[in-house]
Amino acid sequence: MVESKKELINCVNISKQFGYFFALKNINFKVRENIILGIAGANGAGKTTLMKILCGLITPTLGRISIKNMNYDDHSNIIKKLIGISTDESFLYEELTIFENLKFYDNLHQNFDLNSIKTKIEQFAKQFNLTEWINEPVENLSHGMKQKVELIRVFMHQPSILFLDEPFSGLDYSTTKLLIDSLNELRGKENVSIILTTHKTEILKQICDEILILKRGKINKSLTKEEYKEIQIESFF
Amino acid sequence: MQNKDKAQKSSFKMFKTILFKDIKSEIRQINDLFSIFLFDIISVFIFSSVYSFSTEGQNMPLEIFVIEVWLIIFFTLIYLMSKLFVKEKESGTLGGLISSPISGNIILFSKIFYCLILLSFVEIILFLFSVFLSAPSIENLSLGQLMIFIGLGVLLPTLDLSICGSLVSAFSMYVKNKSFVLPILLFPLILPITTPIISLNIKILEGTLIYDLVYEIMFIIAHITLMISILALLSQTLLYD
Repeated sequence: MVESKKELINCVNISKQFGYFFALKNINFKVRENIILGIAGANGAGKTTLMKILCGLITPTLGRISIKNMNYDDHSNIIKKLIGISTDESFLYEELTIFENLKFYDNLHQNFDLNSIKTKIEQFAKQFNLTEWINEPVENLSHGMKQKVELIRVFMHQPSILFLDEPFSGLDYSTTKLLIDSLNELRGKENVSIILTTHKTEILKQICDEILILKRGKINKSLTKEEYKEIQIESFF
Repeated sequence: MQNKDKAQKSSFKMFKTILFKDIKSEIRQINDLFSIFLFDIISVFIFSSVYSFSTEGQNMPLEIFVIEVWLIIFFTLIYLMSKLFVKEKESGTLGGLISSPISGNIILFSKIFYCLILLSFVEIILFLFSVFLSAPSIENLSLGQLMIFIGLGVLLPTLDLSICGSLVSAFSMYVKNKSFVLPILLFPLILPITTPIISLNIKILEGTLIYDLVYEIMFIIAHITLMISILALLSQTLLYD
């Protein structure tokens, strides 16, 4: 059953060098459709760099990535329509309101129908308990609230691949639970795949189908659901 | 054909979306713009006062007036450049733009247009104050000449400066010491057009016929074409690390 899933992302010999420092060395892995892949590792292991390369935000020094058999050089805009990204940096404009930010990013994904944008924003705001804050500038929000708005921004255009870098940081218990439920619900839908990084190994164990453990820029261990249940993930950091 | 029209319409809508977002952000941070206006007005005031004091209250010659105004505009451009790509990079929002399914050219051209609007706005205030404070010797300027001055003498060079400013801002956004690099990169780019801009302004204000302005106009248009070509060719490389 698992083997029948199609290959979604293929990373071949990915290396990234910053000056003399290699943040990633010869990373090779494949991601199948409709799974949640967790990327774990200690601080400085290269999780965020790998995530940014997968999203096309930075280019690898060596190696190539294909997403649905397409690469960023030739099919950049097609790939970007398919993906939703949340990184360690906030993409929100501090001086604009939550509504204006979300409308702006939905417009960039070629949705200009104001009614449908309004409906979507209202639904997500209700789901994430942000209805009262919708016309508030982002600069007035707490870190956790900003994180919620970031997640709404990612979910808004209904991407089929989600790249979430530390999505649980700054979230309270109820929002963490809400996010876990939302991710599980998305996985249930056809062709939605999620790649996320987090330090919280208990969350990884709760939702991930596969876990990739990075150590000093290299893949230290790749674990399936059956394998990681029995062991302590931190021992491979 | 229909697909091409649809793609063009969609590109234009994206362009408008980014431009309106920038203008809205600017209005919400109006203090930044006020400080630029203040810099311009104080510069004009100091320049005019010094001239008036040293010449015992004579009217400022046209040549000095034009040089004064454009010198202040060049320095204002350095402030405005930090509002383009540098600001997006520093606030982390550049990632949101480049991870969206839009072409790099749309992002670049929307920033050029945004810079053009800001710079034009600054120029209106600057020219009004400088005419009032410097009292230049401009005589018998007809409405037609005034329109030629605004179109060819001000807007055309402003477009050129906006393109240069956007190019430099995009070039320097990944550099650590931006405040040092911005002027160093900008001045060699705008140096070739400094003389044609000043000469064009003086000639128009002196009432020279448009026929005699061809060389200056051609030079500025050639510079615009060159800068736009560089931007279009490098758009993908410029926006990515």
